[in-house]
Amino acid sequence: MIRLDGLRVRVGSFDLVDISFEVPTGGYALIIGPTGSGKTTLLDAIAGHAPLLAGRVLAHGRDVSSLPPEQRRLGIVYQQYHLFPHLSVGENIAYGLRYAAGDGSEATATRVRALAGLLGITALLERGVRGLSGGEQQRVAIARALAPRPSVLLLDEPFAAVDPATRTILRRELRVLHEAEGITTLQVTHDFDDALRLGDMVAVMAEGHIVQQGRPEDVFRYPNSAFVARFVGTGNVVAGQVERTGEPGADGRFAARFVSGTLELHVIADREGLAHAVIRPEDLLLSSTPLPGSIRNRIEVVVERVEHLGPVVQVQLAAGRDLVAAVTTATASDLGLRPGVRVWLGLKATAVHLV
Amino acid sequence: MLALLGSMLILFIVGPLVRLLFMASPSGLGSALADPELQASIALTVMCATAATAIAAALGVPLAYLLARARFPGRRLLLGIVDLPVVIPHPVAGIALLLFLGRHSAVGGALASLGLEFVSHVPGIVAGMLFVSAPILVSGAREAFVTVDPKLERVARSLGDSAWGCFRRVTLPLAGRGILAGGILAWARSVSEFGSIVILTYNPKVASILIFDRFTAYGLPAAVPAAVLLLMVALAVFALVRLVEPREHR
Repeated sequence: MIRLDGLRVRVGSFDLVDISFEVPTGGYALIIGPTGSGKTTLLDAIAGHAPLLAGRVLAHGRDVSSLPPEQRRLGIVYQQYHLFPHLSVGENIAYGLRYAAGDGSEATATRVRALAGLLGITALLERGVRGLSGGEQQRVAIARALAPRPSVLLLDEPFAAVDPATRTILRRELRVLHEAEGITTLQVTHDFDDALRLGDMVAVMAEGHIVQQGRPEDVFRYPNSAFVARFVGTGNVVAGQVERTGEPGADGRFAARFVSGTLELHVIADREGLAHAVIRPEDLLLSSTPLPGSIRNRIEVVVERVEHLGPVVQVQLAAGRDLVAAVTTATASDLGLRPGVRVWLGLKATAVHLV
Repeated sequence: MLALLGSMLILFIVGPLVRLLFMASPSGLGSALADPELQASIALTVMCATAATAIAAALGVPLAYLLARARFPGRRLLLGIVDLPVVIPHPVAGIALLLFLGRHSAVGGALASLGLEFVSHVPGIVAGMLFVSAPILVSGAREAFVTVDPKLERVARSLGDSAWGCFRRVTLPLAGRGILAGGILAWARSVSEFGSIVILTYNPKVASILIFDRFTAYGLPAAVPAAVLLLMVALAVFALVRLVEPREHR
């Protein structure tokens, strides 16, 4: 388990403020945020490379806040991997083992071989690190960080320096490795896909603060601000005004109208006034006739643009405000979707998330 | 046109050196090598330059690391101070050192009472050499440290290295060639020093002063063999620097 308890860090004129977050033992958590949000600074602070102005870092219940980096037992892998260029692959992996308890040349060799086998880099052990591909470098860096059996693994944008195909493979391998080693892992990334595919927990950072945290699906489905919604790519984020149309229920929520320009939607709200409506593209239903049933919002719209993304088609619609819907290629073909075509849009009031 | 202009400068550098090398006859060089005064002078020069470089390394490498890594108030001022000897005319440096280290100054007097005299003594030669060569070593070492990514050191610390262990196992091996190249250049600069030493310690004579002495006393023919020998030492050092300096600096 690693727990961050009210961390405050200053690097130059940049501040991390009141960072509190917990990753359970064996968990995989991600900190996501745009460039400059303070993710790497946070990892450096956890690892002991940036001093804390306030707060505590607890690794498996042990307060490591005042310990130097070498006594924290936290493995770190940076974005550019930072392999030691004057050492071979095997020497890189073995680097931290001289300090491991019970270390001996035989134990070191066994651990290096085991990790190399797990990561598929046995053939590289005698090689120098120059000339390794991005994926190979990443595997070596992870093996090196894991070798001394740290209590927590910290990963800084581990997929940023590899191509998309390698990224997919590495994500899968990292998940397998995490399950095999059972190590508590904290990764920072700017890619919410990493959180959806790898994480048990996610925290979204902006300008030195954690602005939302929770399970990745929940953050994706129920972002708490327009910033989070846009950053995690929930879909449509429309600014507008909420006007109450019904009486509040036992939970305080009420039927309302969300107005943005000429777009009017029936919604369920818990407050009136200015708000953002967050709507997932998959929740926008398209048909050639008004959809029957319980769907409260039925609007005739014009198709502006159609973009084929493999099995999914993104359809940009003029509905008073631009909205993007996602349908299958079969639906797009059945409806004859192309620019200028008029279709009916259906949206359940409960599918509109107001922030 | 660019090539022509560049060639003129190259010719200006190479021409005098080639002319000097061809001035010395093999027999003249042979007798110069057998000259006990010249032998003693070259030995003194090499010894003092080595001592000055060792002191510059012991004091300058930690300073270079600090200047490369730390950000603190006054860092720019410190960088300027380190480079100051480069812009000071060397006789001026000699006079300043004379005033600072002479027996009548507070520092010089205190050191003299401990048995360390500078003016007209060997330590004066080392002091002059150190003053002019230290900036070269510090600059070279600082540049070498700057090229070592601090994140390599952070990784090493997280893998269990203490600050010193990380410096010894990661920073020094990676910056080592650059520091060594800076050290050799500083040593070469010490060997060629004249201006400050001539004021601090005319005797015993280092090679540059001996050459000047023979030129003023006996003329060109007496100075040339010694000058050629010193030039050969300088060229050998130059070749060594090219051999050890990091590939990206070549």
